[in-house]
Amino acid sequence: MSGLSLKYIRKNYGDVRAVDNVSLELQGGALTALLGPSGCGKTTLLRMIAGLEDPSAGSISLGGRDITRLPAHKRKFGMVFQSFALFPHLNVSDNVSYALTIAGTPRGQAAARAHELLDLVQLSAFAERRIGELSGGQRQRVAIARALAQEPDVFLLDEPMSALDAKLREDMQVELRQLQQRLGITTIVVTHDQHEAMTMADQIVVMSQGRVEQMGTPQAIYHQPENAFVADFIGKANFFDGVIAAGQVRLGDHLLQITPPANFIDGSPVRIAIRPEKAALGGQGANLLPAKVTFVRDVGPVRDIHLETSVGPMIVADSDNRQPLRIGDVVQVSLPAAAIHVFPRLQDKVAA
Amino acid sequence: MTAVDNAKAPLATPAPRARWPLGSLAMALVVGFLCVTPFILVIVISFGQKIEGAGWEWAFTFANYQRFFVGALWPDEVTFLHLQRLYYALYYAVLASVLAVLTAFPFTYLLTRLSRRAQSIWLVFILASLSLSEVFIVMGWDVLLSNRSGLPMLFEVSGATDWLKRTGWFEVLREWGLANPRNVKFKTSEFATILTMSYLVWPYAVILLYPALSRLDPSLTEAARTMGAGPARVMTSVILPTVKLSLIGATLLLFVFLLGSYVTVVVFAEPAKQTTAVAVYESVRGSTLDAPFGAAQAVILLVTAAGFLAIAQWLTKRSEAR
Repeated sequence: MSGLSLKYIRKNYGDVRAVDNVSLELQGGALTALLGPSGCGKTTLLRMIAGLEDPSAGSISLGGRDITRLPAHKRKFGMVFQSFALFPHLNVSDNVSYALTIAGTPRGQAAARAHELLDLVQLSAFAERRIGELSGGQRQRVAIARALAQEPDVFLLDEPMSALDAKLREDMQVELRQLQQRLGITTIVVTHDQHEAMTMADQIVVMSQGRVEQMGTPQAIYHQPENAFVADFIGKANFFDGVIAAGQVRLGDHLLQITPPANFIDGSPVRIAIRPEKAALGGQGANLLPAKVTFVRDVGPVRDIHLETSVGPMIVADSDNRQPLRIGDVVQVSLPAAAIHVFPRLQDKVAA
Repeated sequence: MTAVDNAKAPLATPAPRARWPLGSLAMALVVGFLCVTPFILVIVISFGQKIEGAGWEWAFTFANYQRFFVGALWPDEVTFLHLQRLYYALYYAVLASVLAVLTAFPFTYLLTRLSRRAQSIWLVFILASLSLSEVFIVMGWDVLLSNRSGLPMLFEVSGATDWLKRTGWFEVLREWGLANPRNVKFKTSEFATILTMSYLVWPYAVILLYPALSRLDPSLTEAARTMGAGPARVMTSVILPTVKLSLIGATLLLFVFLLGSYVTVVVFAEPAKQTTAVAVYESVRGSTLDAPFGAAQAVILLVTAAGFLAIAQWLTKRSEAR
């Protein structure tokens, strides 16, 4: 399977730029998640890939063939909609075989294929049911089977889990991922749920305000965020504003060591981020901040310890539960030099 | 907490109902009386007898019904004049309601794709047009279609008549009854009757179709597109089946409404092709003055409409069960 390539894709709605200069290379057979807050342009981008919207600029190609202006019905891209968009006038089996019926496949053959696909999503007993008689999870499976019926070149899913309850969502994420791996089909999932993206995706495209903020494997996105937005949006992070001093960061009265040394001019305003589970209580060496415990949330395997430091509040996720803590206790927090991410900070944000 | 709420609820709810048992009963009786009395009167009168030159008297005879179906002189002579009028009533109403729904459907579909603001402007305009009375609309079309001042004059002056004559279409129009030897003519004709009738109910058609079409989830058509359906297939395989019941419902409602239309038929239909509604009026108030026969015709018209509604209901149920 050849990959999907997006070059300088832009979409304007009047003066609003919904998607801004997005270029992506998606490998064949991989599952890519478009992740971002609502209104970041991820669904618009997916709709342009599906052919449901025309890009204002840029090009889309599949296996080297330009498909930018190819209408949706000639693309052979299966799509699962947020509302599932199942046809209420057709039963489950007819919904699944719709694409085949449109393509002129003989009725018996189409029905057999529908049965096969329903088997794949474990719904073969429901073939004759009407759509109104299905639960949310069953509808989602039908929508997936239906989108796969035409053996699509690319499989697109727009917030496929948003209509499901939390428990079912987790199960379906795993199931969908296993199904995708079994079929080896190039897949793009739009989601605003980072947990969902991290569970399913080979690579994640983090978007904000129509732009791609970072693209990479879930681990890379989590452990090496390229900017403050990604660090904040993916997982939790503690942020502090400081200034560069000889490759180190000055936070108030403290000088933090960074490895590797921060590559900024002295005096540059920066924002640093550290994941709650990377910071630790106690310890020795450099990068120690005195802090006061303000709140402890103990959820069993891990404790979230809320602290007030001289440079601002922070949270430490502590999975080592031995040290008893009370509100008001004074502790030392260590910030390992290798776990600190340094991002440039815009001057106007200082003013604000 | 929930248990307490549940215990209180049955005590609290019946109170308002119990307060005016006589009031609501009296109201029901008044409404029932107003609805049912004229209806029962018409049915009773339909079994009455005409007194030559002096109105009618109570009786129980099927003569009026017999006259409707096989003529007054049966069994010596059988005439189907009144059945023919019923046929024309059905014929005009079916064609006009289908025409109205067929033309209102694409309009309404496109309307629902417009911005909210544009939609409300159009809907207000269409609702406003409902305030025009049938007489007013028929008068307008009467002028538009009349031989001396309307479209036929325009045909003649613009040379369209000559063009029709040269191309041979004029003879076709003559065969259809839409031309006299000199020029095209639309009055009186089935064409004018059906056209005006469908014009009359067109705003209703839009308003009846609007809710279903505006509820139509755009992602349904998009899903069909991603599965290889071109615009025509999307229309026939998704949009039409989804709103099928609304289309049938709207057509039926307009059909029943048009079954009783009077002014349009009087003005535009040929004398030999008048409808039962016109005949009812003639019997009751017009030249023949035969209230029992008029009542019998009215009952038959009503039963016909009810029959069609029942058939439609049955068809709908059957299609839903499938």
